[in-house]
Amino acid sequence: MSSTSQRRRLVVTRPRPTARTALSVLLIGAFVLAFLGLDTTDDLIHQGGLQAAARLARSLLAPDLSPEFLVIVLDATLVTVSYAVAGMTVAIVIGIPGAVIVSGVLVRGRRARAVSSVLSRGTFGFLRAMHELVWALLFLAILGLTPVAGILAIGVPYGATLARVLGEHLQNAPKEVILALRSSGASRWQELVYGRVPVASGDIVAYLAYRFECAVRAAAVLSFIGLGGIGYRLNLALHDFRFDRVWPLIAALVGLIAIIDVVSARTRRTLQA
Amino acid sequence: MSEAPAPRLRRSVGRSAVDARHVLVAVLCVVGVVAAWWFVLAQATGPLPTPATVLGRTAAFIGNLLGAATDAPPAYAQLERWVDMSGLVFDTLVMSVLAMGLAGAGALVSIGSASRLMMVGDVGTRRQVLGRAVLLLTRGTHAVLRSVPELIWAMLIVFVLRPGILAGAIALALHELGVLGRLGSDVLDDLDPAPLRSLRSAGAGSPQLLMYGALPQVLPQLVTYLLYRWEIVIRATVVVGFITGAGLGHQLRLSLSFRRWTEVALVLLLYVLIVWVVEAIASWLRRLAR
Repeated sequence: MSSTSQRRRLVVTRPRPTARTALSVLLIGAFVLAFLGLDTTDDLIHQGGLQAAARLARSLLAPDLSPEFLVIVLDATLVTVSYAVAGMTVAIVIGIPGAVIVSGVLVRGRRARAVSSVLSRGTFGFLRAMHELVWALLFLAILGLTPVAGILAIGVPYGATLARVLGEHLQNAPKEVILALRSSGASRWQELVYGRVPVASGDIVAYLAYRFECAVRAAAVLSFIGLGGIGYRLNLALHDFRFDRVWPLIAALVGLIAIIDVVSARTRRTLQA
Repeated sequence: MSEAPAPRLRRSVGRSAVDARHVLVAVLCVVGVVAAWWFVLAQATGPLPTPATVLGRTAAFIGNLLGAATDAPPAYAQLERWVDMSGLVFDTLVMSVLAMGLAGAGALVSIGSASRLMMVGDVGTRRQVLGRAVLLLTRGTHAVLRSVPELIWAMLIVFVLRPGILAGAIALALHELGVLGRLGSDVLDDLDPAPLRSLRSAGAGSPQLLMYGALPQVLPQLVTYLLYRWEIVIRATVVVGFITGAGLGHQLRLSLSFRRWTEVALVLLLYVLIVWVVEAIASWLRRLAR
């Protein structure tokens, strides 16, 4: 059994070397061309750059761990997490109904489903195309400096992404489950609640956790439009050449992401146990 | 294949719907969300905008983008402005390609030492303690690289490197190396260990094991991941351009601060177009990798 399947795999993968060679040539060629296209008249490292790098490296060994600064780090971390949570709630409010619409599972008839899917995919595709910080700049221009700009900057693009990805999870429910429910007289709505959602729940939670991690990273750089958090403190430290304050802030961000990793894995297990 | 989903369905239907653990998770979530909103909104220095103001100002902003604020012909309707901007589009593309190349090369070199299968156990190196140490170090490096967003890498890098396309590409590549390193080492860990074990017992050293046993199997998957990440990197390239002063991102920041709204519209239009074009190219290339 295993030997035949292995032999079959060999036969399947073997006969397309040309496509793969072409791909390798394309990718490596694009990279080399991009390098050759660079303007190299200026030096890559600017004056004093090496000293700055050395100071950054040295400060890694002597970070500022004074209690006053650690309180600042803790506060910045809490602000960043809170922005991420607030942004994610907006994203979920947009994304979960969006996912149901994108997947078209509640609509009857093939044509109605195609129309709903194309319309919503187009809209959400446009919202999704822009990075959250570009949204942050736009909301800053619209609303001025307010936390609402930061929340919406995370919530709007992430909501659109959730709609697409979760919509695909809902669509991909195994046919047997859906047919079993349908043959026992379930409505479309019951099909969704008792069939598609439970089957996809593990994937949905995993994806939400991943997006939350991304939201934390995005929230950390909202300082870019003048909002608080880890990035804001990092900016201050860099402007004052306080390199010893850079590393504790980066450590807080890395630790935060690690904690989310562990908690999300545990939550997933609790939900699935 | 048709058997696979059955146990999951039975498990979720057979259990009582409300369970103490579910309640606990739900309560913790609600408390956390309320606390977070309160904390964020407490950061406000002025009064918060109401939903009506948000909608009204958004509508006005869209009007500005379309050219309501000025009598001059909108930038997006002038062919020469499109031509002017094409150089920036090219720079943005070059930055993303450089970033993916650097990150891909780094991942290729480092995923072997980030894979548990390749470093410890009977397939791993003979010096197990050393293998374990290298494994932890590489995995830790990947985790740090990917936890820090591109923009923060860019903020640090402009202290050392001259701002420009290459500095931006390196900032992007650092974050991407962390992501690709994790994805690639996971693929390596999922390999069937048997062929690797026989290579090892035939006397292959670790580099040979990686070159002839593992990489040929994981390379197509790795290239697929690389192309998927390119779609994400092209979005981030614009943002890194804010800091490293290159490409469309730089132009977007300038146009916004000079309040040239129709120029902002043109830059955004080019941005969305470039993202869609990259998505199309990447999905075409992915088909070649399969």
